[in-house]
Amino acid sequence: MHLISKNHAAEDIFAVQELYHSNGWTDGLPIVPPTQQAVEACLEWAMLPPDQLIGIEPVRAQAVTAEKLAINAVMAGCLPMHFPVVVTAFTAMLDEKFLLHGATASTGGCAVFVVLNGPIRLELGASGGFNALGNSDRATAVIGRALRLALINILDVRPGEIDRSTLGHPGKFTYCVAEDEEDSPWLALAQQRGMPPGVSAVTVMAAGAPRQIMNEWTTEPREILETFAAEMRANLRHYSLHAGNYALIIPKQLREHLAGWSKTEIAALIHERARIPRREWADVGKAAVVRDRGDSIYPALASPEHLLIVAAGGPAGGFGAVIPPWLGPKSQAVTMAIGACVDCEPPKG
Amino acid sequence: MSFQVLDPTNERAVPLGQLAPRPGSLQGKTVGIISNGKEGTKGFFAHLDRVLRQEFGVGDVAIRVKSNYSAPADAYIVSEIANWDAIVTGIGD
Repeated sequence: MHLISKNHAAEDIFAVQELYHSNGWTDGLPIVPPTQQAVEACLEWAMLPPDQLIGIEPVRAQAVTAEKLAINAVMAGCLPMHFPVVVTAFTAMLDEKFLLHGATASTGGCAVFVVLNGPIRLELGASGGFNALGNSDRATAVIGRALRLALINILDVRPGEIDRSTLGHPGKFTYCVAEDEEDSPWLALAQQRGMPPGVSAVTVMAAGAPRQIMNEWTTEPREILETFAAEMRANLRHYSLHAGNYALIIPKQLREHLAGWSKTEIAALIHERARIPRREWADVGKAAVVRDRGDSIYPALASPEHLLIVAAGGPAGGFGAVIPPWLGPKSQAVTMAIGACVDCEPPKG
Repeated sequence: MSFQVLDPTNERAVPLGQLAPRPGSLQGKTVGIISNGKEGTKGFFAHLDRVLRQEFGVGDVAIRVKSNYSAPADAYIVSEIANWDAIVTGIGD
């Protein structure tokens, strides 16, 4: 296999760390040395030649090749079996609808939230259980980190360079969750978004930090969903009035109370409840931009389909999360199959 | 134990565009302004418009606002650039 990346020599593991940190090639944490052998193993696993074009970031005309993506995946701690997920997620991020340059350059400081679905979760040991949005497992940790390191190194998304985030959030280290499909009464997110059953897929979303809610004081589905809707209304008040993709992370304890409801029914109710009149901005210090549109109604979701409902979290606790969009409709969530082309034309002849 | 490790960056540099020749004077010229459309740009570019006309004798100022402040300028704006003698653009909040 012929790799074209420049080779650097380092006398030991500590010298590797200093080389990468001093060049601005890390997220501040130690990296795994991307040796030729380790990078080739990733490419071989995914059956990709090094010069395979993953995509082109259109604003700055930057090509992303499989070789560069594999180098960053190894640095993040990925094993070869994780690499196909990284490739698919990055391909999805390069979809025009995702608006990758804007999402990574914005002062808004979002991160790329990734949801894993399908059999590959089990093959990788990705867990949607305890601590689902934290350090739940190796696979989700390294896959999310690989995407960030690739943004830093391939597309120059470093703080103060392309990344102009005012604050950012901890999801910019890694922000990946596996849906707990085995313990869920619902369709998996990827199927809800059009993937066939049994297909592994990733969904990527330009997202703010999780806003945690808690309601252990009822078993009534509408009351539970009202808590989620209220948190979305809070986001409309305190952050942005623009409708966009929101994700709800719903743990087992709350799922059990919602078991009679489908994701479609939940999304319909949330769509109806998560909205505010513009005049509420005057209550939170933003009266200057209410102007003569105080009675205009702003829904969090342009339609119920824009809600991404994910079953994840440990078995006990009425804690859920609302994951808000970076900037309304300007970036749209993208779902893509791993190792399969769901919408492709069959070969002719 | 020594290591040979690979460069993770995109080593293929994007060719930079060439700057257009600088106008000797702005007197009577047309200056385009491409705004990202954020709230804070309104007062700033209105002030710049006045300064260009009153202090530099600019003949015409064309202010264009992008439809999406996180995306490149719209095609219709880019197509107008050839008609301008100078252009002001940038990012702002």
